[in-house]
Amino acid sequence: MKINYLTSNFMKSTKFFIGAIFCLTLVTSCSDDDTPPPVLEEELITNVILTFANVADATNTVIMTSVAPDGQDGASTEVVEGSFKANATYSLSLALTNETETPADDILNDDIIPEADEHFFVYAVNDMNLTMTRDADDIDAADGNKLGVKTTWDAGAAGTGKVNITLVHEPEGADDSDEWGSVTGGSEDLNITFSGVEIK
Amino acid sequence: MKHNLLIVALCFFGYTNAQNCTYTFIGKVIDYHDSTPMSGATVYIQTQDNYTTADVNGKFSIKNLCNGKLNLVISHVGCETKHVEIDIIGDTFKEINMEHHLEELDEVSLKSKGNKTTKTAQETVIKEDVLIRYSNLSVGDALKEVPGVSSINTGSTIVKPMINGLHSSRVLILNNSVRLQDQEWGIEHAPNIDINSASQISVIKGSGALAYGGDAIGGVVVIKPGKIIRKDTLYGRTILGGQTNGRGYNVSSSLNKNYNSGWFTQLQGSYKRNGDFNAPDYNLTNTGLDSKGVSVRLGQNKFPSGFELYYSYLHNEIGILKASHIGSVYDLERAINSGQPTVIEDFSYDINAPKQEITHHLAKANYFKRFQNFGKLTFQYDYQNNKRLEFDVRIGDRRDVPAVDLTLQTHTVLADVNLDTNLSRKVNFGLMGRYQNNFANPDTGVRRLIPDYNTYDFGIYTTTEWRIDNNLIVDAGTRYDFNRINAKKYYRKSRWEERGYDEDFSNIIIEELPTQYLTNPIFDYHNISASIGAKYYLNRKSYIIGNYALASRPPNPSELFSDGLHHSAARFELGDLRFNKEVSNRISGSYNYSSSNFNFSGEVFYNQIDGFIFLRPFDLISTIRGPFPYWEYQQTNAEMFGVDINATYSFTNSWHIQNKTSFIKGYDLKNDLPLIDMPPFNTINQITYNNTAWHNFSASLKSEWVAEQNEYPNFNFEVEDQLTGEMITIDISSPPPAYHLLHFYSEASFSLSATTSLNIALGINNLLDTSYRNYLNQLRFFADDLGRNITLQLQLNY
Repeated sequence: MKINYLTSNFMKSTKFFIGAIFCLTLVTSCSDDDTPPPVLEEELITNVILTFANVADATNTVIMTSVAPDGQDGASTEVVEGSFKANATYSLSLALTNETETPADDILNDDIIPEADEHFFVYAVNDMNLTMTRDADDIDAADGNKLGVKTTWDAGAAGTGKVNITLVHEPEGADDSDEWGSVTGGSEDLNITFSGVEIK
Repeated sequence: MKHNLLIVALCFFGYTNAQNCTYTFIGKVIDYHDSTPMSGATVYIQTQDNYTTADVNGKFSIKNLCNGKLNLVISHVGCETKHVEIDIIGDTFKEINMEHHLEELDEVSLKSKGNKTTKTAQETVIKEDVLIRYSNLSVGDALKEVPGVSSINTGSTIVKPMINGLHSSRVLILNNSVRLQDQEWGIEHAPNIDINSASQISVIKGSGALAYGGDAIGGVVVIKPGKIIRKDTLYGRTILGGQTNGRGYNVSSSLNKNYNSGWFTQLQGSYKRNGDFNAPDYNLTNTGLDSKGVSVRLGQNKFPSGFELYYSYLHNEIGILKASHIGSVYDLERAINSGQPTVIEDFSYDINAPKQEITHHLAKANYFKRFQNFGKLTFQYDYQNNKRLEFDVRIGDRRDVPAVDLTLQTHTVLADVNLDTNLSRKVNFGLMGRYQNNFANPDTGVRRLIPDYNTYDFGIYTTTEWRIDNNLIVDAGTRYDFNRINAKKYYRKSRWEERGYDEDFSNIIIEELPTQYLTNPIFDYHNISASIGAKYYLNRKSYIIGNYALASRPPNPSELFSDGLHHSAARFELGDLRFNKEVSNRISGSYNYSSSNFNFSGEVFYNQIDGFIFLRPFDLISTIRGPFPYWEYQQTNAEMFGVDINATYSFTNSWHIQNKTSFIKGYDLKNDLPLIDMPPFNTINQITYNNTAWHNFSASLKSEWVAEQNEYPNFNFEVEDQLTGEMITIDISSPPPAYHLLHFYSEASFSLSATTSLNIALGINNLLDTSYRNYLNQLRFFADDLGRNITLQLQLNY
């Protein structure tokens, strides 16, 4: 057939082009064979430690630890060590770190406190006789609020319940007038609940 | 005879009735390729030895005719002169196709047969005059002109086209014959095309256009730049627009220089800018857009051979509603229940995080040569570079570091042969090779959502078109594609084991780190696709089309490898290495009727997809941000079916009504559930008045009614408030209620001189400032859609 004849002619005349196409494909396909490096994750918070120290009794501390080896992107374990004494007063100190880096990255002092105007800690308890106040020397957050990194806690009558700490990034509005704190908008970087917290 | 074959397809013979010489023949001369009216075509009426000329709409009329045969000779600049024989049976209307075959640049591109490539597919063309109205918007917005095409949005500036309920990797987009490779897998990845660089867009439903790819399970969008006529001329166009909503403005300009010798050059640029949009009741903070586009074409187009060089650049900076940035499932719950965005600030042009910054470069070169008595041979090479930066709300000195930083580079070579010596037995075949490299920059400090990978694709296809007789055209095609993906991906050991990959994929681990494995998945896919269809003219006003298409698509990188936090949606997304390809069997039928005052098109389809991959909420994980939802890609079998209707009726020369309706259903057959994100029933009714005597004035009122999606999968989940123990339902499934919008549009054209004209268009979208939410907008949980928008556009042609 006519077309067959012409096709073979065409094949001859374009052998070069088709060859070129394959060559080009092969050449470009060999260009990238290196191994990508692992990502150094910078945004992680892996360890959160709340240390409640009895202001009157140096031997009495309550330590609440949350460990999330994969950071916000994975499972976490919460542990509470020690118990509150009824009618005692405690000062709370916080530690937020990224333990995937060596040495560990101090997220609280390196990132959050320098940008206190964009952050706000909110606390809450359930079934607990615990009250809190934000200290006079607490860091200033936005709109005349206290950030919530230096706080004092008063334990009341004995009981068992839960304590929650939430770190809100860029809240639209924050309010510490009830000391616990409340926000509108923003996004939660942390929202950790410790259960089985005891006041004896 | 050969010549007439082109005509006879659209020309049908009736029977002569009683002799009566008072009939009028109305002809419309249109471009064979894209149906643009060819004003100024000269019509020689052989029977009367008389001349007339087609008007601006390509129309002409011949009065006082008897029943019987009428012989016309039609000529137009740049076209072959055409002899047409018409049977006059009473008052007769007929469209006459002029063949620009020899003169147009289209011939340089692989898409050699204009929009007629898919004779038997469900194809709709959006013409330049309609596209110009969307100058300040996006390609995704303009495509909604086609019934059955909707969009899946992230806000109002990230608009992804959805064809018959399918989107992303299932919709193939061709920009000037180059298949767009712009990380199209993600819902929030809008096509990187400047609508101002397009002069015609055609939408092909289903995978009928095999020359472009075999994986178009949803459909193909073919975007063509302006035509270039072979004569010495210089012309251009400038568009200036302003919009009240978002205080937006846009400017677009193009300049063309053509020579008789076939040389041509075209330069086009556009800039769009808007600040925060507003819903009827509040500002949509951080929804600004900054978009810049430039394209350049250069080449020579002669009949025996030609070439084209094309380059386009697009840079988009897109703000994403600030209130959509959430940290935990509790934030999501508050957003859903509050009914309005949690962040509402005063209007601003600022674009802050969360935002996207995308740069797309496209360069192509092609060359064609014709061989006498054989056909045409075309080669094309194209290169695309797509850089996507996504900025999240971050802290410290990382706030200016993107959380996603991907660079996708693609090289493609194509060779295509078109055997068109026998116009009733056309054969087209070709092959394609493609290499693609994705680089995920590790400097983000965020684990890669998409890994580094290389893909290698090879495709070979053949299509044929047979004209069986005057009334019947049959086409068929088949294609084979080989795809290989070779990735290097880190998996956390915990994830690796949780997914069960330690059992199935232990052989792909190439390096072990303390907490992670580096793996090297290499997957090969063999895909066969095919299509067969027929178009049959029932009579001279109507035809039917039937088409069957088999398409298969390999899973995309996001479906295979996704593994990480998707901030804007407050969810983890997880892919699956075990996915197989998707295989679609689609059957469609169309009925088309057209007369001088009534046009109707009805399209039905049934699509059965084996291995349909979709993303669904799956489980919760407890993290230090509180419980977090996991979304998993899953694979199932699905079926979809639907009807799309488009009808127009002209009461008089000035008053027209139009209806566009589409209805679609989709089901997950394995789980016996409706599919997620199916477009709800919608119907658009429009009344238009136009008067050519008043500077081509026209005004239209459009009513858009979108029903509530009443069939959706209930993927709501409950989480426990860890503090109080209370159960909270997260309603992420319920569709928003039905809504009805009214839109107004009017325009007029003024001639400023012999060669310059000014078109002024005034539009009001959402005339009644109705508050509504769209089921297919991913930000519907956080805010209402746009309120009233008054737009003014000036278009200067010179």
